[in-house]
Amino acid sequence: MPAETTQKFADLEAQAQVLMSVFTKAGHEAVAPAVIQPAGVFLDVIGEDLRARTYVFTDPDGTELCLRPDLTVPACRLHIARNAQAPQTAAKYCYNGPAFRIQPHSDDAMHPREFRQAGIERFGDSVREAAEAETIGLIVKALEAAGLKTWSLHLGDLGLFRSVLAAAGIPPRWQKRLAEAFWRRDAFRSELKRLTSAPGASARALPVELTAALGRGDNFAKENAVNAYLDAHGIAVIGTRTVAEMTEHLLEILADAEAPPLNAAAARLIESYVAVSGPARTAGTRIAELLKGTRGGSGLALDAYDRRLALIANAGIDLDRVTFSAEFGRNLEYYTGLVFEVTAPGLGPGSPVAGGGRYDGLVRAAGAGVDVPAVGAAIHTERLLSVVSEARL
Amino acid sequence: MNKLTLAVPSKGRLMEQTTEMFARAGLAVRKTGHARGYRGEIEGFPEIEIAYVSSSEIAAALKSGSVHLGITGEDLIRESMPDADTRVSFLKTLGFGFADVVVAVPAWWIDVATVADLEEAALPFRRAHGRWPRVATKYMAITRGFFASKGFGDYRIVESLGATEGTPAAGTAELIVDITTSGETLRANGLKILDDGVILKSQANLIAANAALWTPALVSVRDTLVRRLSA
Repeated sequence: MPAETTQKFADLEAQAQVLMSVFTKAGHEAVAPAVIQPAGVFLDVIGEDLRARTYVFTDPDGTELCLRPDLTVPACRLHIARNAQAPQTAAKYCYNGPAFRIQPHSDDAMHPREFRQAGIERFGDSVREAAEAETIGLIVKALEAAGLKTWSLHLGDLGLFRSVLAAAGIPPRWQKRLAEAFWRRDAFRSELKRLTSAPGASARALPVELTAALGRGDNFAKENAVNAYLDAHGIAVIGTRTVAEMTEHLLEILADAEAPPLNAAAARLIESYVAVSGPARTAGTRIAELLKGTRGGSGLALDAYDRRLALIANAGIDLDRVTFSAEFGRNLEYYTGLVFEVTAPGLGPGSPVAGGGRYDGLVRAAGAGVDVPAVGAAIHTERLLSVVSEARL
Repeated sequence: MNKLTLAVPSKGRLMEQTTEMFARAGLAVRKTGHARGYRGEIEGFPEIEIAYVSSSEIAAALKSGSVHLGITGEDLIRESMPDADTRVSFLKTLGFGFADVVVAVPAWWIDVATVADLEEAALPFRRAHGRWPRVATKYMAITRGFFASKGFGDYRIVESLGATEGTPAAGTAELIVDITTSGETLRANGLKILDDGVILKSQANLIAANAALWTPALVSVRDTLVRRLSA
């Protein structure tokens, strides 16, 4: 809830100073990105779910703008603006300021429309796990400096998930599809079921004369076959999608029909991995067991998991407070690797006091044109203040 | 006593059909004051005052309860209030103003016949174009609710206030959610309706505002009116 009393406003300001001073001492430059942002970059990156929760408006010349729903994308844009020629330049930023989200159910104290985020972002780090562990360590340090005593840290790892898919020995196009579907639990389950039982179902709906023609010749001939089919049926090609794109997709559908269904062992491995949840150290052991005997490729990701955990411990974090869940990170679309959340008793699992992770694709999507390693996290300052104030009472 | 306010469409085909419907029920509706006024009455129903309001504003008036009853399309109600079933009561379908709210994609997309196919095609589309397919519509809330119910989230809405069916050919959207009666306009624009893409079969309804002040006397006027229209 926005500060409605001068006392609460003063408390939030004082707390923000504590947080920002921890960040700047660790070498993060304080920045203040614009509150009003172009809507397009957010909408393309964050998906329609968060769009439905973003205040979007049009200014008189027709430009679509929004009130920023978080500060991560604005920080990316700021970094790109400063380093247009070399977006991979290493940089560390921190910020404190308001973000805005439509709350579909109600505007309650833990889910306000307007809230203030204090956070850090770092770009261009080549040593990935070290940057991640430092980010987590710094967030925890800031939370503790603000007075938070009891907390737990939850980790997820989308990179590890992709490695498990590779280790399961399934065709790359199915790996890609499962990884993309991972964001939505139901879509993921139905895709896994489809690949395990009837990968050819979509192909059966296609016209037989076309599927026959697509079986012959090179890609050029196949694309011509699609054009010939459309001409013969008097169907005009309109819009931005191209016949080449659709031909490629039709061939994927037909390849699925040819392929044997996903074998039971691979499906079991994927399902067992997705079910892994518990203390971070034992979760690592459990994943190693699952992957034993599978093809290589997963070793690197698992090494990274162990290395990161060791670095987190080195950053002064008690690993007994750290849990891992393979499913965690599912509704946070732009993350690509590590994801984490800090929760505090009394706030409930749906209201973390801080959260963040790795988002290597976001800087490109925000206009850099290249992938830039990026990791960051933000503190929900009103929640932090409420937990800390309760504890003081 | 307080009068019951009934909001009816102030212009166009819906207004004509509303007047015809009252006439069929033997109820003469006439404007009060000068001919271009926005108030009216039903002969023999002195307890009812008619307010001529544009169709889109009828939904807002019903939502706030500033009128007791209104005649408008279900599509406009559903679009302007996601919680329509708690805010208004659909008293009676009226048998005109038919319009289906549908999802339509280019007819040449032979790999897409259902929402599930659309979801599958959205991934390679994003790889090729760097963004999710755009859905042009003026029904933003209905579209979001429908796709969410199908578990489909890989799209971006582009608000369209007119000529929505032309947006795919114009290249400003990949697909649309719009109303259709016969499907003819969609076909003429090179589009087809998805097999599971009929979101809502809408028609004009007599609708009561739950938030309006309903005295026992007004409830009985309402019931009499519904009986006369149903006869």
